[in-house]
Amino acid sequence: MDYPIWDLAMGGGSLIALVAIAHVLVSHFAIGGGLAIAVVETLSVRRGDAALRNLAKRGSLMLILVSTVFGAISGVGIWFTIGLVQPAATSTLIHNFVWGWAIEWVFFILEVATALAYYATWDKVRPRTHLLLIWLYVFAAYMSLVVIQGIISFMLTPGRWVETRSFWDGFLNPTFVPGLVLRTGICLFLAGAYLTLAALRERDGDARARMVRLLAAFQVVGVLLAYGGYRWWEAALPESVRTLFLGSAPKIAGLGTTRQHILWGLAVYLVLALFAWMLPRAQKWPVAVVAMLVAFTSFGGYERLREGARKPFVIRDYMFSNGVLVGEIADLNQRGVLAKARWAAREAGGTPESKGRAVFRAQCASCHTIDGYLSIRALVAPVDADMLAGILATLRAEGDEYLSGKHTHEGHVDTRQLDYPFMPPLVGTDDEVEALTAYLVSLKPSDVAEVSRAQ
Amino acid sequence: MPSDLIPALDPAALPGPPWLFHLLWVVTFLIHLLFVNTVLGGSLLAALAGGGKPGRRETATFFVEVNSWAISFAITFGIAPLLFMQVLFGRFFYTATVLVAWPWLGMLGLLTLAYYLNYIAKFRLRAGRGARPVLVVEALCFLGIAAIQVMVNLLHMQSDRWEKVAEQTSAALTNPTFLPRYLHFVLAAVAMAGALAAWVAVRRVAKGGDRGVNDTMARFGVRAALVATVLQLADGFWLLLSLPEDVLKAFMRGGGATMAPLALGVLAGVVLIAVVAQITDPLAQGAKVRLTLAVLIAAVVLMVITRHQLRSFYLTPARAGEQVTVAPQWGVLALFLVIFVIGIGLTVYALVKAATDRPEAGEQTA
Repeated sequence: MDYPIWDLAMGGGSLIALVAIAHVLVSHFAIGGGLAIAVVETLSVRRGDAALRNLAKRGSLMLILVSTVFGAISGVGIWFTIGLVQPAATSTLIHNFVWGWAIEWVFFILEVATALAYYATWDKVRPRTHLLLIWLYVFAAYMSLVVIQGIISFMLTPGRWVETRSFWDGFLNPTFVPGLVLRTGICLFLAGAYLTLAALRERDGDARARMVRLLAAFQVVGVLLAYGGYRWWEAALPESVRTLFLGSAPKIAGLGTTRQHILWGLAVYLVLALFAWMLPRAQKWPVAVVAMLVAFTSFGGYERLREGARKPFVIRDYMFSNGVLVGEIADLNQRGVLAKARWAAREAGGTPESKGRAVFRAQCASCHTIDGYLSIRALVAPVDADMLAGILATLRAEGDEYLSGKHTHEGHVDTRQLDYPFMPPLVGTDDEVEALTAYLVSLKPSDVAEVSRAQ
Repeated sequence: MPSDLIPALDPAALPGPPWLFHLLWVVTFLIHLLFVNTVLGGSLLAALAGGGKPGRRETATFFVEVNSWAISFAITFGIAPLLFMQVLFGRFFYTATVLVAWPWLGMLGLLTLAYYLNYIAKFRLRAGRGARPVLVVEALCFLGIAAIQVMVNLLHMQSDRWEKVAEQTSAALTNPTFLPRYLHFVLAAVAMAGALAAWVAVRRVAKGGDRGVNDTMARFGVRAALVATVLQLADGFWLLLSLPEDVLKAFMRGGGATMAPLALGVLAGVVLIAVVAQITDPLAQGAKVRLTLAVLIAAVVLMVITRHQLRSFYLTPARAGEQVTVAPQWGVLALFLVIFVIGIGLTVYALVKAATDRPEAGEQTA
């Protein structure tokens, strides 16, 4: 909130989602793919199977080009993007988990070094050394997932950290292990999906069928693990989070639909993987491509659901999606939100509308754009001025609900009790709320605005 | 005057002693910079080397092959200093990056493009084909990345320029320190990459490599190092004089702590010119070539220290009255140190094993 605001027509959240989904599709392959390649090469050495060796070699080029290049850069990309869109939240994560990230960095060094060395030493070193390199890679890649999963899952379920501020309470949070199981499954099925495409280039029909079946086994195990992990993850969520996307009438309908996509996606993918396992000779690249796209959709859906389920927080029970801390609601109501949001305040101007615009930029612009993503103009168009004032008054009163602590248990806020469970409360002085009302009314089509002013 | 737009300190305490973050920051940044110099200077020299004359193609190939590793390590070792810097000065850094958000994010697009172009050049050169246009675009990408880095680094230290940049992003480039600082980094990178090429050529000949090809590579590298260092001497003074007056004065008043690294750095530059100018036949003067690379690395170490000190002078007014609380997470910190030692040990072991394990005649290879 006290940082400058980056105006994006697509919305900052959408950009984060775009970069993050592109990254996770690659990074999870980098982990599962490494394991699949390690297993394939180990089998090729034990059995003296040249076809399996070729598959491992082809896969290693893919691993280098996709994971150490795009994966590494897009990973930094997520960091850059959240720093631009949510600088305060990024700062909180860095302050609490810097040593966790530093540990992940060490694993990343080992991961990159062994990946490059593995690819560079085909036909140069003894098989035992080559296998050592790839198994070290697998270890490092998986450990970096373990570390990052602790930090990602913390944002949705910070657990006892809200009260203790302890690194380990935040890291070993309620969805850490379930999410890790889910992601392990995803790594396995993505590895199977990508490498099947490489295996289908094998000309020898028998060898191709052997490889397709082996990779189908990865996918079947991966889907089952992912499904179990997903259900466990869902069960580990607080009830107030589950109601956002579960039940016959989820609070956020879009997230409910996303959940259906995830589960149906996994079911379809399981069928396709079983088909490849039972009839490996019948497997063709169009089916493999469809299977991979289904895998992407299902996984991308999970990422969207996980991000969306944090609403109205960016770090649950601690920081709202607009950067306001739960602990500073009272202070901002007294001092005014523009006292903190200095970058927005410099645009405040002298009229209520211009001041209201500054309040909007400070509190709402992290999710709503004027005419683009979650357009505020479209949202206020059907609402008259009185109703708008009523909505804002309710949103402001919800700040008191957070402060009263009557919906809070062990630091966790039961947002189900609120009228707007996925919106941050409105904070600021009476003057600022009036200014925001004036600004939002000014966004409405001119005839409606004129009638409102006349009243 | 510091801006009143500076965000408040993060309410969370520092999870470790500040000196430790500074130390880790400087050390990891130094390693990062050595790889960055190799990448930036190497890509420029690869584009300049072209492939027309005998030996030049091998020179370009050398830089391209090295860069396929060095780019990865430059990225990997860039993560740590970025991390430690955000713990200490996140509020300045985030503000600067948001003000130039698109160029900052676009930098990753340039990096992705440059990295893939390097692989394209690598495969083309291995196949005996030309790669000059690819190398030129790759070098331009890295030059662009360096410019964005210098821009953000200057901007995060100068909060008094933030409003101007918020109005007009291009104002970030009108900083009088921008050009000399940018040239300083580019010239250092060229000098280091040149010295590296010369040193590798000397080693290759010592191990029985082709004398003609390596002579071309060594001479090319030595010439690049000499030209870049001579220009650096002039640019270094320009950079010093372009510093804001209060920063320059504070730096000069810093006594031995600030003047010693700077003076030694300048001295290293002079020594470098004296040594490189004496190299007329690099392959016959291997000791001088080795000394060139060693002095260059020493100069980089000294300049990294000076750079870090300058940052603290830049930020002094903006950080006046800063009340940092410290609550070290000793357990996790100890775990990090243990994993760091084991992880680096495993990395070195893996790389040494990969470089030295060669099957006997008749033995199976991977």
